[in-house]
Amino acid sequence: MKFVFFHLMPYPFLPDDFDEKYASPSLDFPSKHFDPKLGNRLYHRYLDELEYAEKLGFDGIAVNEHHQTAYGLMPSPNIMAAALARRTSRAKVMVLGNAIGIRDHPLRVAEEIAMLDHITDGRIVSGFVRGIGWEYYAHSISPTRSRDRFNEAHDLIVKAWTSDEVFQWVSPNYEFRYVNVWPRPLQVPHPPIYIPGAGSTETMKFCAEHRYTYMSVYAPTPVVKRWFDGYRQAANDIGYEPDPEKLGLSIPVYVAETDELAHAEGRQHIEWLYHKGLKQGLERVMPPGYTSLSSLRGMLSGRGKAPNEYTYEEIIDNGMAVVGSPDSVGERFEALIDELGFGQVIALMGVGDMPHYRTVKSMELFATQVMPALRRRSSEPVPAAVT
Amino acid sequence: MTRRYAPSVSDTTTTAPPDGASERLELGGGSIHVQRGGEGPPLLFLHAAGGAGAWHPFLGLLARRFEVVAPDHPGFGGSDDMPEVETMDDLVYHYLDVLDRLGLERVHVVGGSLGGWLAAELAVHSPERIERLALLGAAGLRVPGNMATDIFLMTPDQVVTTLFKHPEAAAGMFPPEPDVDFILAAYRDQAGLARYGWAPYLNNPKLERRLHRITAPTLVLWADDDRVVPIEHGRLYAERIPDATLQIVEDCGHAMYFEQTEAFAGAVTEFLLSGSESAT
Repeated sequence: MKFVFFHLMPYPFLPDDFDEKYASPSLDFPSKHFDPKLGNRLYHRYLDELEYAEKLGFDGIAVNEHHQTAYGLMPSPNIMAAALARRTSRAKVMVLGNAIGIRDHPLRVAEEIAMLDHITDGRIVSGFVRGIGWEYYAHSISPTRSRDRFNEAHDLIVKAWTSDEVFQWVSPNYEFRYVNVWPRPLQVPHPPIYIPGAGSTETMKFCAEHRYTYMSVYAPTPVVKRWFDGYRQAANDIGYEPDPEKLGLSIPVYVAETDELAHAEGRQHIEWLYHKGLKQGLERVMPPGYTSLSSLRGMLSGRGKAPNEYTYEEIIDNGMAVVGSPDSVGERFEALIDELGFGQVIALMGVGDMPHYRTVKSMELFATQVMPALRRRSSEPVPAAVT
Repeated sequence: MTRRYAPSVSDTTTTAPPDGASERLELGGGSIHVQRGGEGPPLLFLHAAGGAGAWHPFLGLLARRFEVVAPDHPGFGGSDDMPEVETMDDLVYHYLDVLDRLGLERVHVVGGSLGGWLAAELAVHSPERIERLALLGAAGLRVPGNMATDIFLMTPDQVVTTLFKHPEAAAGMFPPEPDVDFILAAYRDQAGLARYGWAPYLNNPKLERRLHRITAPTLVLWADDDRVVPIEHGRLYAERIPDATLQIVEDCGHAMYFEQTEAFAGAVTEFLLSGSESAT
């Protein structure tokens, strides 16, 4: 069992009239609400938390890319990875991921990740994401080309990392006459690749074929189970049996001394994440053409709700966050592991508007009391299935 | 020149407007859905982002005097996706193929919004194939400071209140609880619009300087309360197209012929007929 400490780096200081006045914290929530003095301290606080996670024994520390939003302050995740690279020495530095669907120059990503691989001495993990719908507005990239751009950029980057010769790249969305990325990455053949999935069967197949790690996004447990089963099925179809570590459960976590205290303290921060951070209509998340009609049909038929429509109790009951005492959180994870069969927890612990001291307390309790037990459990021989 | 439209006697007849008949036209990359109805000089109708695939009463009114040919654009309504039609210039060549396949050497062209932009591009490319041109609330021009409104970012409710001057009258056109198929069809049409108009947003920066190529007499017809494609676009079209008249329909939003069906049909019919009357 592997544990990743993932940060979104939210900007929590929203105006009092945010709920009434703004459709979302993303895309067109004006940057005048970003207070540079507060924001400046936030970057240092959040980087401190990521560095501290390594000291506490997390296997990985992870950042990601979002644009024009209070949901997350990392338009360039590679800059954050660089800030962590020489301040850490053991944990994987994970970029989950670069939004290659909206980049005009995928080779820049290939170059930066290769540089980071050297600066981290081979600890970099390279996630690739398409970018959320609103980012296609922000970058003036047509969402109708999203999937093609993602696929082409991925193929180009991997080839640029691994090709022995200078090559020419011609695909519908990209043309480069001389591809010759310096430096080559340190890891051979290239840094591990992680891809998040949200139900698309194409993505499951893609991850299985390439032996990539498949990560969930925040969703109810039965939905995540469908995704993980889909990945395992896609792997099975090509005769590949993936290690559980190839499946990562992304999930917000808050641990306090007791269940009562954990819910009393954690509730508002979990609610901030779902009700404010993820406040976004379909037109922002899935602009036209971003999602295939078959995927959209599945989502609409699955009666999925928007993240901000779940109450706190529903969030907890549906497995969209784990909150409680160390014992309760441990038990909850055991049940989730048994149900979903993942081998990697990608824990969001600086949740929403959580203050630093609570994040640190929660991290410490999780690392000292929850992680060791779950590690022991996963290293024990798996009992034979009862038939 | 600008003039205001007032209904004339030619708007009213007692007989029911002609129906449209559906057919499929096979092309290289797939097949498209085409509706045809009425008799008279051929009129190619190029639909807006909304309304593909339906024989709207507006078309029925035009079909009283013209043979209306109304194809669905690739990716819209009943037409196949034809992904190789990627951008507006591809769409122009697609319609040149359609005209050739239908044996239509020279036609009246009427286009609304997205279809108005397409009509202008077609007229720039092949001016000799167009008898008369009617641009209704046409997108297509880049007007800094008066850019078209971003309808992609609107919620369905916001779209209705923005498109219509009297949204309450439009309520019947949209189901209060749309089913999955309705949502998917709307999403597909929106994706069609995004294919041609996401960025640059509903415009071709080069179109304005090419408009001088248009030879057909042109009617630029605009709603007085168009909050999607501002009237400045209409003024610019009328200014740059050599033989163009700007005309305004009162009490109407960008939904145009969905909102003021008879006024739009009347103005277009009168304009197209005025050519044949003066010619004979």
